[in-house]
This record gives sequence, C-alpha cells and structure tokens, in this order.
Amino acid sequence: MTNNPENTSEKSLGYVVGGSLKDSLSVRLTVPPQEVKEGSFVVIESGDWRFYGTVTDLQLGSTNPRFADEQSENRLPPEVACLLHGQTLFTNLQVLPALMQEVGPDPASPEYEQWRSQHPDDSGLQPQPVKTVPAHHALVRSARAEDVANIFGEPSQRNFVIGYTREQNLPIPLDLEKFVQRSSGIFGATGTGKSFLTRLLLAGLIEYNKAATLVFDMHNEYAYDDIASDTKEVIPGLKSKFNPRVRVVGLGAGASIRGQSPDFNLTLAESDILPEDIEMLTRELNLRETTPATLEALWHDFGRTWFSEFKKMRNGAMEEDPITGKKVPATDSVAFWANQAGVNVMAAEGLHQKLGRLFNKPYIVPNPPQDSLAEIINLLASGKHVILSFGDHETDLDYLLVTNLITRRIRDEWEKRTNAYRSHPQKNPEPRPLVVVIEEAHKLLNREMAAQTAFATIAREMRKYYVTLLIVDQRPSQIYDEVMSQLGTRVSAWLGDEADIAAVLSGLAGRDALRGMLARLQPKEEALLLGWGVSLPIVVRSRRYDQRFFEELRGASPPGRSADDAIRELFG
Amino acid sequence: MTNSSLHIGRLLRSTTSDCVIGCRASELNLPAFGGMVRIPLAEGTQIFGLIHNIQIEDDGLIRQLITSDNVPPDVLLDNRNNRNVPVEIGVIFIGYQQDGVISHLLPPRPPLSLDEIFTCTPQEVVAFTGNGRFGYLRHILRRDDLPQAELLAAHIQQAGQIHLTHGRPDWVEAVTRELVTLLRDDYDRLMSVLSAIGDINLS
Repeated sequence: MTNNPENTSEKSLGYVVGGSLKDSLSVRLTVPPQEVKEGSFVVIESGDWRFYGTVTDLQLGSTNPRFADEQSENRLPPEVACLLHGQTLFTNLQVLPALMQEVGPDPASPEYEQWRSQHPDDSGLQPQPVKTVPAHHALVRSARAEDVANIFGEPSQRNFVIGYTREQNLPIPLDLEKFVQRSSGIFGATGTGKSFLTRLLLAGLIEYNKAATLVFDMHNEYAYDDIASDTKEVIPGLKSKFNPRVRVVGLGAGASIRGQSPDFNLTLAESDILPEDIEMLTRELNLRETTPATLEALWHDFGRTWFSEFKKMRNGAMEEDPITGKKVPATDSVAFWANQAGVNVMAAEGLHQKLGRLFNKPYIVPNPPQDSLAEIINLLASGKHVILSFGDHETDLDYLLVTNLITRRIRDEWEKRTNAYRSHPQKNPEPRPLVVVIEEAHKLLNREMAAQTAFATIAREMRKYYVTLLIVDQRPSQIYDEVMSQLGTRVSAWLGDEADIAAVLSGLAGRDALRGMLARLQPKEEALLLGWGVSLPIVVRSRRYDQRFFEELRGASPPGRSADDAIRELFG
Repeated sequence: MTNSSLHIGRLLRSTTSDCVIGCRASELNLPAFGGMVRIPLAEGTQIFGLIHNIQIEDDGLIRQLITSDNVPPDVLLDNRNNRNVPVEIGVIFIGYQQDGVISHLLPPRPPLSLDEIFTCTPQEVVAFTGNGRFGYLRHILRRDDLPQAELLAAHIQQAGQIHLTHGRPDWVEAVTRELVTLLRDDYDRLMSVLSAIGDINLS
C-alpha cells in the first residue's frame, strides 16, 4: 500500500476527541450535522495508520450546559451569537471502528524511503480488525470511492453490488465467495423489501454460479414473473432470467405455479417418511407425549414401510369374536396392532387420527413414478439451481414436512460426497457448495424445532460439508439463538421489535452501537450489512431489482443509480 | 485616532505589567479609554500598552472652589490648564517591540520615570494587533481588577475600525472567536464580554 491519504485540501468531517476500543470513538464534528448520517462509512487518518469505521450515533453537546440551556441568540447580535455557538455548541459523532491499515508516511516525505525499505511489498499492509485507537485530533473524513474499493473490493461477478452508500452513492459489493462459506440471514419486518433483497442475492449467486442454490419457495414468488404489490411493476422471475440454469420443481403431481407448468413435480414416497419427521411436527399436529413410543413401536414392527402400514390400519374398526361373541378390535385396526405391539391403544388411535392430515396429502404416494428427490440432488450436484415451489400446498404442515425431509436427504448426500472426496480426492470430485434458502425460517428453526430439524445441524456444522443456509425471516427473535449466533453474513432491512434487533446483532462486536442503526433504517430500500462476510457494518440503499439490474448483471452497463432512481428517492 | 504619533505625557510610576502616566489636562483630549499607547525605551525597544483608567485627582484649591457659590469662567479655565496635580492615566502593558520584532509577552523591564508616552499610529495598531494569535489578550483577561468587558469592547471598537480601513474587515470576528475560546469555561465572564462587544458599532 503506497498511496498516502494526506490530502489537506479535502474537507474533513471532524477530529477525534475521545472514546475507546470497547465502546466507540467520539469525533467532534466540524461540518453541519446534516452532512453526516448515521451508518456512514468514515475514515480516520492517524499518522501512518488509517482506521475505517461506521457512524453509529450523533450527539448534541455543549462546553457548558448553560450555553445549551439559554438562547443567547436573543441577547447577542446574530454574528456574535454565531461565533459563540460555533465554539460552545457542537455535535459529536460516535464512530464504531472496525478495521485499521498501515499506510505509511507521505511518499513525498523523507521518512517514506526508510518505511518503504521496511515494507518492501504490500503484504501485511491489508486492512485488519481494529486493535488500537487513533490518536487524539486525528482527522475524520467521509470514505472515498477508493476506500470503499479497498475495504469491500471492486465490483465484479464475485463482488456482487448489493447497494450504494447513502451519501455518495458508492457501490457496496458483497463477496459471494465468503457469503456462501457460512450460513447467512436476510431479515426485515414485513414490507421492508426482504424478498427483493433475497431475489437480488439469488440473482447474484446464480450469475456467479460457484454454488448451487435450493430455494424453498413457500409463497411461489421467486420462479416466475410477479407483480409488485406496491408499484404494480413486473418483478422478473429467476426462472425467466436464468432459464437454462434454474429448474422449477412443483410440489405434488400436476402442480401449476402461477399458471405455468414447472420443470417437473415432486412427489414423496411414503417410505421416505421417518418417525423423526413426524416428531418434528409435534406442535403442528398437536401430538402427545406418548407419540415417540408409538412411533418407535411402528418403526420396530414395519421398518421403512411403517407409514404405509399405519395408514392402511383402520381406526376404531371392531369385529365380533367368533368364540366369545364379544366385540373386539378388527385384525386390521389400530387397536389390534397396538395390543400386539404392547402400545397404549388410546395413544396409537390418537396418533393415527392426527396423522390423517398427512395420510391425505396428495404429494405423498406409495410408489412415485420417479425418485424426484434424487433428481433434485442430481440437479444441484451438476450445477443447476432449484426452486421448489409449494404451489397450492402452502400450509405450515406442508412446508415443515417437505423442507425438513428434503434437507435431511441433502445433508446425508453432501456428507457422503464430502467424506468420499476427503478420503480419495483424486477419485472423487469436490462437492459443489450448496446454499439452502428457507423463508419463514423461524417455523423451522425456533427453539423447540431447532434440535429436531436438519437445519440447525447445517447452520452449526455443515459448513465443513459444503452446505450452508440462507435464512429469510421477519421474526429473527423467534429463531433459536444458537443458530442465530452461527450466522456469518447478515443483511437486515428495518426491524421495529427490540428483541428482533437484538437477535440480528447477536454474537457481533459493537452490537449496542449498531442497535440504533437498525431501528432507524428507512422502512424501504435500505439495509444494514454486517457480520463475517462484510468487512465493516454499513448501511446501504439497496439496489433495485428491475430490468436495469439484469442489464448491469449481464455487463451491459456498469452498476450505478439511474436518473429514475434518483427521482424516485426524491419524490417517492 | 490621528495618523501621527502624539505625545500624551510622562511616566509617573511603573511595574513590569503596568504603569501610570501623568498628563496635563490640556492634553486630555488625546488619550482614550481602550486606546493603545507606546513608550519608547533605549536601543530600539518600545513597550505597547492599553489605557484602562483615566483618573483626575482633586487638590486643595478645587476643594475650596467647589464650596464657593460661583466659579468665574477664567478661574475655571485657569484651574484646568494650570493645575498642580496631573491627570493620571493607567496603562496595562500588552507587549513590546525589539529590533522591529513584535512580541505579545510582557516587556523585559519597565520604563523609567518621566519616560515619554505617545499614542499609537493606525499602522502601529494594525502591526501589533494583527501579529500572532491575539496573545496580548491574556494580559487583560488575567486582571480581575479591570473592567474587562468594557476595556475589551473599547479596544476592539478602536482597533476594529482601523483594521476595517486597512483591509482586514474580519479582524473583529477573529478576535471575538479567540475571546470565546479563552473564556468558554467561564460563562458569566464570556457573556459579559460578548454583550459589550455586541454594543460595538463599526462604521
């Protein structure tokens, strides 16, 4: 790194007056407060070091409370009052430092040669997590385009531009390579543009094409073109834009998604359903405490065909005993099996009755025409992206059962492939990284469910097996905190609830300082990027997901904000 | 303020930080409260000061005249022009010049009795008050026995007027800013000073 930042002609925002590494730095503002906003990316020049940070708060202050309390402008001539206020009333910025970088002395200075000889190349001069504080009176300035590029990288296919800084409209890219290495999350209250952010990121991931994506599309939003509920504009579907790479799978035979036929349909074999899939539905089906014992007995007696066998049993069927003439359970009844298996009859009959909701699901069939699950896995492994649309099966029961079942299979498969690759790297190909996108994630990853579903395992340790999650949710506080703390990159639109804000920030340094930033985001088209995959927390105006976006993605024009965007921002 | 340096009196007594000048009543129209004066010493050194007090003492004859019913005009004039007790002018030292270099520190030694005192020319006022960063203000602000607000306002009024006509219209703003910096921890004193400065009227 040889470029020295010293440029005295550039207007600084202020100078450091205090603070600590633990909390944040206080910066005395020397420009009107309207020129700086919360969430701004700022640079602090301190000798041979440069610090990068985020503005987390602006505070009004005075050298003496009486200067603030009394309206001296009523007592003094305006020009004198102005001079007084200029020095006694001030605004302090709170800056959360995130990174520091050695930049060396000014290349024109005599010390530069000596410094350069000690640092013959730029290795070791990359930005690193902040470990000390800048000096008193170090000058603070707004980040320039080269600072943004230095920290976030130059926009490219890998460095996908997700939005622009609020003040200078500088593009902020997200490193997709890092993004898929750990589980990530997109959060935001309803109506804040969560789905658009997800679409943006998915489009970036599909275009970059280094990881497969499996999208559990509960509300049939992502595959085909849609109409925006507010602007009534057409929202391009991922299938429409990436046709050869994206396959749409509809749940159930003959499923139709927004009037279009999917590439193929997913039907589940009854033998695919394991007792733990049912246990996971305890709350949804209102199952009793006796359920695990009954399921255990069913599995013991029938093995993988337990579901079919249990489904065939008649609940409450009685017949007359030919010897005694008394009414006894029929041989194909639930009670008969329960008596034989030593299971409580009432518990077995209760479970059978409750599983009736599953027995009637049209997408669970005894012998599906093809192993659609294996087909999905093959597609993902061969580099395709799969959107599983739930079609008409939009209930929580469908979502929980199907997502968990598929994910369990995928997890097993990727574990197997990874182990094979690690054992014999010459013979077996490296598994393709897979991102599993789950909406309404709190339904699958809440405190009760997290231990039972495959998702919690993926969030915790599947990084080693090339599978990560992209969680999309509006109530992050409902997600098990152990899962939340494992999330690498977090992209959050506006959140109002204190508990949700705390959940998004869990496990991150400086969360107290970042709390206010989340609460004060614009309700639309603004997001806070933070976490492992982002060098420092930053607020961005999110990129618009429209025709122009796809033109830029395909390289027709560089990323930038159009005049239309500017007009829309100004006048809504 | 005239453009030439005028003699206003001689030194009565002095310390390292201030002095008192004796002046004839006929010369009293020359010095003004807040005005700058200079006291030339030997070897190219001169002390700069600021008039902070003008005192007219009584004597026995005045006490007698006061008690009389009628004071004739010629007696009044004679008493004013030929009085035995001089008008006393208090001057606070604010810096000095040695070998052409202006300093806002106190002079190395005080002037001697009967040294002559002159008013400063506009050029001298501009040179002294425009030099450095208003270091001479601390000599005024240190003296709690002086009417600081009024003295500063009178000085800024006079010096500001000169700077205005000598191409530096922002001088008043700069000196006011410096005063705010020096006094911002003392709310009462600062407001008193600013209030007085607010009454300045530059034409």
